[in-house]
Amino acid sequence: MNYFVIGFYALLIGSSCLAAYYQKRSLFLLLFTLTLVCFLMGIIGGQPALWFVTVLAGIIALAAGTSYAWREFLVLTLPRDMSRALKTAPLTASFGLFVIFIYAVMGIFAPVIAPHGEAEVISSAFAPADANMLLGADQLGRDVFSRIVYGARNTVGLALAATILAFFIGAIAGLFAAVRKGWLDQIMGRGADVIMSVPSLIFALLMLSIFGTSMLVIVVIVAIIYSPRVYRLTRAVAGNVVVMDYIEAASLRGEGTGYLIRKEILPNSTAPLIAEFGLEFCFVFLLIAGLSFLGLGIQPPTADWGSMVRENATLISFGDVTPLIPAGAIALLTVAVNFVVDWMLFRASGLKE
Amino acid sequence: MTDTKEKKKDVLLKVRDLRIEGYSDEKWIEIVHGVNLTLHRGEVLGLIGESGAGKSTIGLAAMGFARDGCRISGGTVEFDGMELTTTPKSDLRALRGLRIAYVAQSAAASFNPAHKIINQHTEAPVQYRIQKRLQAQEDAMELYEKLRLPNPTEIGFRYPHQVSGGQLQRAMTAMAMACRPDLIIFDEPTTALDVTTQIEVLAAIRDIVDEYNTAAIYITHDLAVVAQMADRIKVLLKGEEVETADTDTMLSSPQEDYTKSLWAVRSFQRPQRSRPKGDVVPVISVQHVDASYTSGEKVLDDVSFDIYEGMTVAVVGESGSGKSTTARCITGLLPPSAGKILFRGEELPADYHNRTKDQLRQAQMIYQMADTALNPKVKISEIIGRPAQFYGKLRGAALKSRVDELLDLIELEPAKFYNRYPPELSGGQKQRIGIARALAAEPSFIICDEVTSALDQLVAEGILKLLDRLQKELNLAYMFITHDLATVRSIADEVVVMRRGKIVEQGPKDEMFTPPHHPYTDLLLSSVPEMDSNWLTTLLEERGVDNVGEAANAK
Amino acid sequence: MGDVASLILKRLALGVVTLFVISILIFGAVEMLPGDIAQAVLGQSATPENLAALREQMGLDQPAIVRYFHWLTGAISGDFGNSLVTGERVSSTIGPRLLNTLFLASYAAAIAVPLAIILGILVALARNSVFDRVANILALTAISSPEFFLGYVLILYLSVKTGLFPAISSLQGDMSFGDLLYRTFLPALTMVLVVMAHMMRMTRAAIINLLASPYIEMARLKGVPSWKVIVFHALPNALAPIINVVALNLAYLITGVVLVEVVFVYPGVGQLLVDAVSKRDFPIVQACCLIFAATFILLNLAADVGSILTNPRLRHPK
Repeated sequence: MNYFVIGFYALLIGSSCLAAYYQKRSLFLLLFTLTLVCFLMGIIGGQPALWFVTVLAGIIALAAGTSYAWREFLVLTLPRDMSRALKTAPLTASFGLFVIFIYAVMGIFAPVIAPHGEAEVISSAFAPADANMLLGADQLGRDVFSRIVYGARNTVGLALAATILAFFIGAIAGLFAAVRKGWLDQIMGRGADVIMSVPSLIFALLMLSIFGTSMLVIVVIVAIIYSPRVYRLTRAVAGNVVVMDYIEAASLRGEGTGYLIRKEILPNSTAPLIAEFGLEFCFVFLLIAGLSFLGLGIQPPTADWGSMVRENATLISFGDVTPLIPAGAIALLTVAVNFVVDWMLFRASGLKE
Repeated sequence: MTDTKEKKKDVLLKVRDLRIEGYSDEKWIEIVHGVNLTLHRGEVLGLIGESGAGKSTIGLAAMGFARDGCRISGGTVEFDGMELTTTPKSDLRALRGLRIAYVAQSAAASFNPAHKIINQHTEAPVQYRIQKRLQAQEDAMELYEKLRLPNPTEIGFRYPHQVSGGQLQRAMTAMAMACRPDLIIFDEPTTALDVTTQIEVLAAIRDIVDEYNTAAIYITHDLAVVAQMADRIKVLLKGEEVETADTDTMLSSPQEDYTKSLWAVRSFQRPQRSRPKGDVVPVISVQHVDASYTSGEKVLDDVSFDIYEGMTVAVVGESGSGKSTTARCITGLLPPSAGKILFRGEELPADYHNRTKDQLRQAQMIYQMADTALNPKVKISEIIGRPAQFYGKLRGAALKSRVDELLDLIELEPAKFYNRYPPELSGGQKQRIGIARALAAEPSFIICDEVTSALDQLVAEGILKLLDRLQKELNLAYMFITHDLATVRSIADEVVVMRRGKIVEQGPKDEMFTPPHHPYTDLLLSSVPEMDSNWLTTLLEERGVDNVGEAANAK
Repeated sequence: MGDVASLILKRLALGVVTLFVISILIFGAVEMLPGDIAQAVLGQSATPENLAALREQMGLDQPAIVRYFHWLTGAISGDFGNSLVTGERVSSTIGPRLLNTLFLASYAAAIAVPLAIILGILVALARNSVFDRVANILALTAISSPEFFLGYVLILYLSVKTGLFPAISSLQGDMSFGDLLYRTFLPALTMVLVVMAHMMRMTRAAIINLLASPYIEMARLKGVPSWKVIVFHALPNALAPIINVVALNLAYLITGVVLVEVVFVYPGVGQLLVDAVSKRDFPIVQACCLIFAATFILLNLAADVGSILTNPRLRHPK
C-alpha cells in the first residue's frame, strides 16, 4: 500500500459519502459503483490499473471542460436561434461538435499543419518518436503524425464524398417515390430491399474484387450500397408528409412533382434528413476504414487511417500503441458525429410530443 | 340522478389551489393556475372546457398522477382525508384502481392488445386480493350485463381488437368498476365515438354510476353531454376556473360572460334558401356514383345529388358512411368505378390529373384539420398567394394587393399576418387562412370537410358566419361534410343523409328536420345530445334502452 | 390461423425470390469483369493458348445463362466449383472454416444477446437517469469504434500487457471445449462489445416507445405494480421489436466477423473471403458472398416470421 492507492480510495469513498450525505441519490450510486469497480480492478490489475482509472478520469474531466468552454463559445458567437438550441445541448454534443471542428481544420489545412509530406520517407522504419516526429515513424520511415493529418483529408474526404453521393441518389429517389407512388415506388422499394439484403461489407468486397480499388470505384460502390438506406428513410419521412392535407391541396391545384418536392415536402423533412446524413456518414466512414484496413481501400502511398492500422499492426505485439492512433482517430470522429446525431434525434423526438 | 343530490354526504375529494406545470421548449410553464374543486361522495362533477383548458391534467392530478412532462407544482389534493401530493408512491399506487379508477378517451388504445379483456379486468381485484380470479370473472360478466354489452358471458374472453369501439368503452367502464371504487375519472369517454354509439355508452355509464353511488369526475368539451351526466358543472378556461354551479342552474342562468357565450353558440341560424326556379343547371351534379378503394368492397353505392349556385348542401353521416369518399370522388382524387360528375352540365374527367387548370380551379377544398392543411414551413402570404399566382398569373404588386384583399376578406389584418407562419396562429386563424387559400383560386364551388369539428365552439361559430357571408358576397356553392347536426341546422339549405355508402334520404332542410323521417335519419337526429339535463332520460323512456345505438343501428 | 399461415408463406416466398435475385447479382457481377475471368486470372501477359485452355476448362464457351444455372444447381447441392488459385474444391476449403466462423458468431451471440436485452430493459426503466446517460455514452462509443480498434485495444491490454488471453486464435482439432472458448475469447469479446451496444440501444428504444402507449398508462392508473407493468403489459408487446433487434444484430455479426477474423488471424470464412478478394479467386468470393447473403436473408426472414407470430392481432383474428 502506498500513498497513491490510499489517496485514490480515500477520495472515492469520501466523495461517495458526501454525495450520500447531500442526498444526491444517482450521483452517490454512480460514485459508489465506481468505487466497487475500482476495488475489483485494484485486486486484479494492481496499481497500474488504478493509474489507468486515474488517467481516464483526468481525460474525461479534460474533455468535459473543453466541451463546456466550447459550448459557451458557440453560444456567444453563433446567431441567435442556433445558440438558443445549443444552450441546452448536452456536453457530449458539444464535445462532438468540437472534435468535428478540429478534424475539419486538420483536413482543410493539412499541408500547413503537417511537418512532412504524406509519402515522404524521413527516417528508418519504426523510428521512435522524437522532437522532429511527434509520433515516430511507420514501417517505411514516414512521419506518423503527418500521415494522420493527411489522413483526415483523404479518409474523411472520401467518406464524405461517398455519403454525399449516396444521399443524392437515395434522397431524390425517395422523394420521387413518395410523390409519384405506384409502380415506380414499388420497383424502387424492391430494389432497395435486394441491395440491403446483402451485408454491406460483403457487397463491397465482391464489387471491389471485380472493379479494382480506385478512389472513384470505392465512392460509387459505397454510395450504391448505402443509398437504399437513405432511400428508405427519405421515403418514410416524405411518406409522412405526403399524407398531409396541404400536399393534397397542392396536387389538386395542379402543381407538378418538382414544386411539390421543393416547396412542400423538403422544408418539412430537413431535420430527420440531416440527422440521417450524420448516421450515414458514420456507417460509410466505418465501412471505408474497414476496407482500407483489409487492404482494399485507398491504396498506398496515399495516407489513410485504415491502411495505417494495417501497416503498423505488427507493432501491437511489442506493446506499441502506434497502430491504435489511426484507429483511435477513426473511432473519435465516429463517436463525435454519433454524439451530435444523438442529440439532434433527441431534440427531434422531444419536440414532437 | 336527482335522488343522489339529496344524499349529500361528506366530502370525498378536496382540491385546493392546484397548480400544474408542463415542460415545453426546454422550460417549465404553468398550465393550471390554482384550481379548487370539491367533490362529495356519490356526486358527479362535470369538467368542461375547450382544448388546452387543462381538464385532463386536472383529472389525472385528482389521482395524484402527472403525465411525463407534467408535474404538480403547488396546492393540495385531499382524497378522503389523504393528502395525495405528499403520499409516497407505493401508497398512491395502492389507491389507484382500488379506490380511484380511470376511464380513458380511447378504449382501443388503452386496452393492452396482448391480453383478453377479462384478464385485464380482473387484474386489479386479484392484485388487491378483493376477489379470487374466478369470482372476479363472474363479477365482470355481471358488470358487462349491467352495461348492456352483448353476450356478457363471452365477450370478455375476446381480445380488444375483436370488439367494437363503443363496446370497448363500456368494457373499460366495467373495468374501472371492478373494485367498486369511490371515485372514477371519465376522461372524454365518448369523444371518439359516433353519436348513435355515444348514446348507449352515456346511458350505460350513467346507470352504473348511479347504481353503485360512485362519485365521478366527467371530463368533456361537449356541453350537451355533460348536461346529461353531471350533478354539478365546473367550467374551465386556460387552466383557470370560470364558474361552478348545479347543472340546472348552469344551464338556465349562467353567470359569467364566457359561459354565456358557450351557451349562446348554437343560436346562429341563417335563413334557408331554396333551389332557383326554372331550368337552371346545377354547379355540381353527382350522378349514380359507385366507388371502391383498391380491391375492396364498394364504399359508395349509387350516390346522386345536385348542388346549385349559392346554396349549401350538407352531407351528414357517421364515420364510414362514405361522405368524405364522395368528396374525394368529386375532386378527382378517387376516380369513381361507375357514374359521373358534372360541373355546370359538363362531365369532369374522373381523375384529377386529367382535368384542366380551370376545372381544378373551380372546385376547392377546406379541410378539417387546419394543422395538416397548411404547410407549417411556408409563409401565410405564400400560402394564400400561390393559387392566385398559379391560376391568375399575378406577379409582384398585383399579387400582394390580392393577398391583402383576401386577408381582409377573412377578417385578418394583412400587415400583421403577411409574413407569419402557420404554427404561430391559433386554430381559428389557421382555418381562416385555409378559407382564404380556397378563395384565392376564385372557385364557384367549395367542399368544406368537417371544417368546424376540430374547433372550439365560439371559434367554430365565427367560421360559420364567415362562410355564410362569403357565400352571399361571392355566390358560392358549398358542400358541407359534417357529422354534427347542430352545424347542419345552422347553415344548410339541403341535407343528404348517408349511411354505409348509400344515400338514405335527401331533401330541403326544413323537410328533413320535420317528421316523418326515414328510421335511420330518425335515429341520427334523436341521438344528438341536447342542452337539457333530462334529454337522455326522456329519450331512453321514449325509445327504450334497446332501441338506441348499435342495437338500433343494426336493424 | 389462415391469415398467419398465408402471411408467413408470402414472406417465405419473398425470401426465396430475394435470394434468387441475389444469386443472379453475385454471378452477374463477375460476368461484368472487363474481359473475362480467364483473362483476369492469367493477367495481360497470358498466351492465347493458355487463355483458350482455361476458358475451355471453366466452360466459358457456354452462354452465361447456362453457366449460371449450372453454378446455381451446384451451389444448392454444396458444390461451388474449384478454386482458381489452388485448384482445390471450394466446398472443402470453405466447409471447416464455415464451422469455425459459426462457432465464433454463436459464441459472441450467446454472450451478447441475453446481456444486451437485460441491460436494454434496465436502462429503459431507468431512463434519463445518470446510469442511462453513462450507458448511452458507452454504447455510442462502442458502436462508433471500428472492430479493429476494439480488437487491437483488447489485444494490447488483455494479451500483450497482461498476458491474460492469447492474441492469436490458432485452433487445433484436439482442443477441449473450454480451451477453445478460452482461445477464442478475445475475438468473441470484440464482437460482443460492438453488437451488444447496438442491441442495447435498440432494445431501449423499443421499450421506451412501448412505455409511452396509452395501455401502459392505463395499467399504471389501475394500480398495477411497476414490475408487473413491465412483465405483463410491456413484454408481451415488446417481443416483436426485440426479435427484430436480435435478428438485425445477428446479421450485423456476420459483417463484423470478417474484420475480427482478420485482426485475430482466425481461420474462418471472413478471412478466406478477404484473401480470395485480393487474389481474385472468384469461385471462392462468389461462394462466400452467397453464404453470407443467405444467412443475412434467413435471419431477416426469421425476424419477420417471429413478429408475425407474436402479433396478437394476427394470432387472434376477428
